[in-house]
Amino acid sequence: MAGPARILTVDWDKQDSFALATYQASGGYKALPKALKMQPQQIVDEVVKSNLRGRGGAGFPTGMKWNFVRKETSFPKYLTVNADEGEPGTFKDREILLRSPHMFVEGLVIGCYAIDCHLTYVYCRGEFRETAMKRVQTAIDEAYAEGFAGKNILGSGFDLEIRVVYGAGAYICGEETAMLESIEGRKGYPRLKPPFPANAGGGLFKQPTAVNNVETLANMPAIVNMGGEEYAKIGVPKNGGTRLFAISGHVKKPGVYEAPMGVTFRKLLDEYAGGMRDGSILKAIIPGGASSAIMTAEEVDWPNDFDTLKAKKTMAGSGAVVYLDQSVNMAHALANVMRFFAHESCGQCTPCREGTAWLSRLLDKIAQGRGERQDVDNVHQIARQMEMKTICALADGAAMPAKSYIEKFRADFDALVRE
Amino acid sequence: MIARGTEAAPPSPFTPEQQRRFDEGFEWAVNKYPPERRKSALLAVLHLAQDQLGWLPESAMAYVGARLEVPAVRVREVATFYTMYRLKPVGRHHIGVCNSISCWAMGSEKVLEQCEERLGIKKGHTTKDGKFSLEEVACLAACGGAPAVLVNNFAYYENVTPDSMSRLILQLAEQPGQPMAQAPEPRPTLPILEKQSQPQATGPEAATTWAEAGSTERK
Repeated sequence: MAGPARILTVDWDKQDSFALATYQASGGYKALPKALKMQPQQIVDEVVKSNLRGRGGAGFPTGMKWNFVRKETSFPKYLTVNADEGEPGTFKDREILLRSPHMFVEGLVIGCYAIDCHLTYVYCRGEFRETAMKRVQTAIDEAYAEGFAGKNILGSGFDLEIRVVYGAGAYICGEETAMLESIEGRKGYPRLKPPFPANAGGGLFKQPTAVNNVETLANMPAIVNMGGEEYAKIGVPKNGGTRLFAISGHVKKPGVYEAPMGVTFRKLLDEYAGGMRDGSILKAIIPGGASSAIMTAEEVDWPNDFDTLKAKKTMAGSGAVVYLDQSVNMAHALANVMRFFAHESCGQCTPCREGTAWLSRLLDKIAQGRGERQDVDNVHQIARQMEMKTICALADGAAMPAKSYIEKFRADFDALVRE
Repeated sequence: MIARGTEAAPPSPFTPEQQRRFDEGFEWAVNKYPPERRKSALLAVLHLAQDQLGWLPESAMAYVGARLEVPAVRVREVATFYTMYRLKPVGRHHIGVCNSISCWAMGSEKVLEQCEERLGIKKGHTTKDGKFSLEEVACLAACGGAPAVLVNNFAYYENVTPDSMSRLILQLAEQPGQPMAQAPEPRPTLPILEKQSQPQATGPEAATTWAEAGSTERK
């Protein structure tokens, strides 16, 4: 793995990187005693200074989110971990859980201390139960045994219970309020906001709740150890630290690579993923999971951070970068993406339930060569009408690719339609 | 309000051994929540029931609802919402081929075709001997090893090619797999209705009802 800054992947090349001994040998569980001697608000202040943005997809400043929860006067407060990784292209949380579960656990305990939470839920997609989560459960058990979790952690008087719960195969439960519904034992219908999860009435069991991604929490030991300001220096302004980029598609070495925020897509491709495979020419880039707007090969020099990509009308999302080559017809690719969204729409809001299904039918028709020029225009039109009309962002996440694939690769669609 | 259908305890769908494992897991699952929130363990308890039986028959859903004191309608709502819960029996080896964007780009449709050819079934179906069933699944978060395949909900296989898929099927065929999925339970058959052409009530008023409504003879 190339690159200078390594925070999250520091142990990954070692044998048994997941073991407690490995983690402790490289300085693991040193941040926790330090954190427990700080005031919780001090930790949140450091996280604010670090410019850490949530790694789940929305890129919300973590410190700000924690301050919202701290300001609430209703107790108990909860921290819930989103380990329901499922955005097509994304596989970085699974690698953290498999390779550095203790780093995640240490970050989780620090996070709970910072927002005054004594019972935390790790919500993990059900498919990970027998693989990644076996390691996490072992790590949690070891943490309890070593006094890093449970009652009176390291003699500080801080108590924390960690509970792992599983989903059962629903992409929508990666949406934070749908996840809370699912933890509470219901189907994953996102909740109308406000109240937001951080506020009383909006979180888990209606209590103030911080919902954080696995990778976000795994950064906490580093922020406590090096201080927020040092951490912020690694990335670009307002996008602190390193990020795990999950690279897949037609590249020589697909995998998860750690790079500073703001790294360009060209650098990720050439220096990290080994370039395109032999015979492959870069055609398109999915910059942040299937729900992000597509990029062309000419846009490969764009830096990958939340603010730049937002300004370019796409998004950094979950850090999942898919490089596609010339063999892919983008109309076929969009039909595939839309089948996913039509399948995963929870059905609560009409524009999404009907819109994704309609788009999927139209795109299948186009992909099978039965479409007309008007169908392509209709796809664009319908996608525009789905935006900003629903409770959660799934519809927007389906509309963004639909619009952008057509705008940037219209020729691929025109080649398939009948005149 | 009385949650109807939960008043009387429905019979357990488990064998004694399955029951022992279920009871153990049940305590574990419920204890993850504060006592006043035990109903929140519904997803976990449904997983537990499915782990014993291989799928979720009606009797299992009724039993889970009664144990957790959750109304039957909510159990059904959850069981039908999440795709890992199986509402009908599947094979001893349930193969899920990921067909989301990264796997698709790396040839997952060829893997899927190979499965269909090898097993002689289309996706969504089970082989006649009950050994294999096949499904197309959504992103498994294993895109770095695309195409990815998931067997029996939890076992990951990555970088799968049509050839390696064939070999995997041969390997699996020799293993016992998950609990044998049973045939769907017989539903109580409804009594066949009698021909409704004749009004059943007696008396002059009742006798004219059908004709006045302009209705023809019911089929």
